[in-house]
Amino acid sequence: MPPSIRYPNHVAAGGSQPPAAEMTNSFASDTASVTDGSKIFSTMNCDGCHGGGALGWVGPSLVDGRWRYGGTDGALYQSIFYGRPRGMPAYGGVMSPGAIWKVVTYIRAQPVPSVVPTQAWPGTETRRP
Amino acid sequence: MRAAALILLVLPVLQGVPQRDSGDWPMPGKDYAATRYSGLSQITPANAPRLRALWSFSTGVLGGHEGQPLVVNNTMYVVTPFPNVLYAFDLTRDGYPLKWKYRPDVNPTSVGIACCDAINRGAVYAAGKIVYNLLDGHTVAVDAITGRELWKTQIGDMGQGETTPMAPFIVRDRVFVGPSGGEFGIYGWVKALDLATGKILWTAHNMGPDSLMIVRPGTFTGGANLGVSTWSGDSWRRGGAPVWGWISYDPQLDLIYFGTGNPGPYNSEQRSGENKWTNSVLARRPGDGSLVWAYQFTPHDSWDFDANAEMILADFVVGGRMRRVLVHFDKNGFAYTLDRATGELLVAEPFAHVTWAKNINRTNGLPVVDTSKTTGASRGNIRGICPSLEGGKSPVSASAYSPRTGLFYTATNNLCMNFEATQVTRIPATPFIGATTPYVAGPGGHMGAFIAWDAARGRKVWEIKEQFPVWSGTVVTAGDVAFYGTLDGWFKAVAIRTGRELWKFKVGSGVVGAPITFRGADGKQYVAVYAGIGGDWFLLAGDVRSDDPADVRPPSDFAPDLGRHTSQGGMVWIFGL
Repeated sequence: MPPSIRYPNHVAAGGSQPPAAEMTNSFASDTASVTDGSKIFSTMNCDGCHGGGALGWVGPSLVDGRWRYGGTDGALYQSIFYGRPRGMPAYGGVMSPGAIWKVVTYIRAQPVPSVVPTQAWPGTETRRP
Repeated sequence: MRAAALILLVLPVLQGVPQRDSGDWPMPGKDYAATRYSGLSQITPANAPRLRALWSFSTGVLGGHEGQPLVVNNTMYVVTPFPNVLYAFDLTRDGYPLKWKYRPDVNPTSVGIACCDAINRGAVYAAGKIVYNLLDGHTVAVDAITGRELWKTQIGDMGQGETTPMAPFIVRDRVFVGPSGGEFGIYGWVKALDLATGKILWTAHNMGPDSLMIVRPGTFTGGANLGVSTWSGDSWRRGGAPVWGWISYDPQLDLIYFGTGNPGPYNSEQRSGENKWTNSVLARRPGDGSLVWAYQFTPHDSWDFDANAEMILADFVVGGRMRRVLVHFDKNGFAYTLDRATGELLVAEPFAHVTWAKNINRTNGLPVVDTSKTTGASRGNIRGICPSLEGGKSPVSASAYSPRTGLFYTATNNLCMNFEATQVTRIPATPFIGATTPYVAGPGGHMGAFIAWDAARGRKVWEIKEQFPVWSGTVVTAGDVAFYGTLDGWFKAVAIRTGRELWKFKVGSGVVGAPITFRGADGKQYVAVYAGIGGDWFLLAGDVRSDDPADVRPPSDFAPDLGRHTSQGGMVWIFGL
């Protein structure tokens, strides 16, 4: 039975959240885990879809502070473990829970640009050939 | 010898002025030779400045609108990117209302398995059917009059990283299809389906043993099983060679021609050998799939130089003799003219800036590689490789040939790259790449150009520089006008004899599809094109995305201004006088 996860980004009918099992990242404050997670992000081919540094490629950016399926530790874990619609593969069959948590740690350690909402093109006109 | 003499008698018919153009557009490249040339001549350099937007329709889908519409029997057929809706517009009624639309059941998982945006490269018409591929590994046939689904066949396996955006090609009763997945370590192939039932008739792989490649004994002087002997170990089993581009056909020779894509992974040290037949043109018999000849443009590729660009068939004088040729603008930056009966190399000259190779050796057909530009995991970051892996031209950007000028008209990219390869493990359904490849603009700073090319002599005739890479297809007409579109959203007409721009219109989003021209129900000439940036540009310029608040990306560092001129879109436009 898959664990229930609290979904703070979702609308809960009647305002009532589903019962949530506690999902905590035991690798959360471990800087070695960030490095390990970065390596796993490559060896499991995550960068092939999410881009180097998880900036986005075919798959969305994971470092913009925005989350399509929820941004709690548990939601990130579930995304990786079970996969998600539109092509995120389920990695739970080939990755241990520890490995998944290290990737979660790596992603959460990436800086989110402070100006994410606004993209501006100030200054000189674009060059014309 | 006798066969050659008979064929030479037929040549003037092939090469001369065509009969009155049917005015329709039944297959992606207009005709079997993939010329994208129309005999319609109402639009000319004199009146093109008066072209106007006459009609538009939102496809309802945001994403890369590669491919092209079809026009058959006063009906225009449009296939959208995922979810691959098929629209049929009634061109006899004011406003071109829909006759029907077909909304297939297509698996959204395919969006994440497709390497390069959820694009579709078009449908094909034959025998009252519209046939096209769904992204999730199925081919469908729909009745062209009623829109009812006739058959649906699974051809690809997403669990192995295969998706199917390419446009099928039909010869007689055979539908030819191929997979994408060069970035997923697939075992690439071409299949023939029965047009009436959709049943798979044969599957021919692009590497591996002769039995799986459908190669008869004695075909190659290099010996048997070249698809195994040119690979280390069993690396051919996950060697890529996708078939994601265009197909053409010579009815006299009874050969279909298509290109194969890159070997996988990008880290070439995991697959020693020439890696046949990746990055090659293959000539196969449509009946049984047997491979008659093949030529490899980029052996042991370490730059992702897919050879999926169109093979345009034409007959013209090369080196003082009339030749039946095939012309191909390769990602590797060289434009090739080959004898299409034998694969003999006639001309190979750069049409873009090239640094990975010095030239192509005319005697043995092999590139003379600058080994300082060869990449691999042990070699670290290799700088200054030109062209970039987008190619001197993308295979997406199908070029056109005018028998009136004898020249080819094509989009090109002016980009270079650094390339750092890493070891990678194949995990089916996940990417199998192993490289980081940032781009920069090529010499001159402009990132693209639309050019006229003389394939008999191997030289550029004229060039229109563009700020951004040119990624659209081309149509050329008997009125001596060509049309193309830019990534910053301009759709343009140019005079093909001079390279002078005649007209342009801002179509609302970057153009990555190919324009077509057709005769309307009123007898007048019209031009149609999609607008909707995407394909590789969805990956490279992720800041063009606006629809998902959970996917906010910085601009690319080599084209930071692109998002200023375009977001994603989805429009069909029709222009006329």
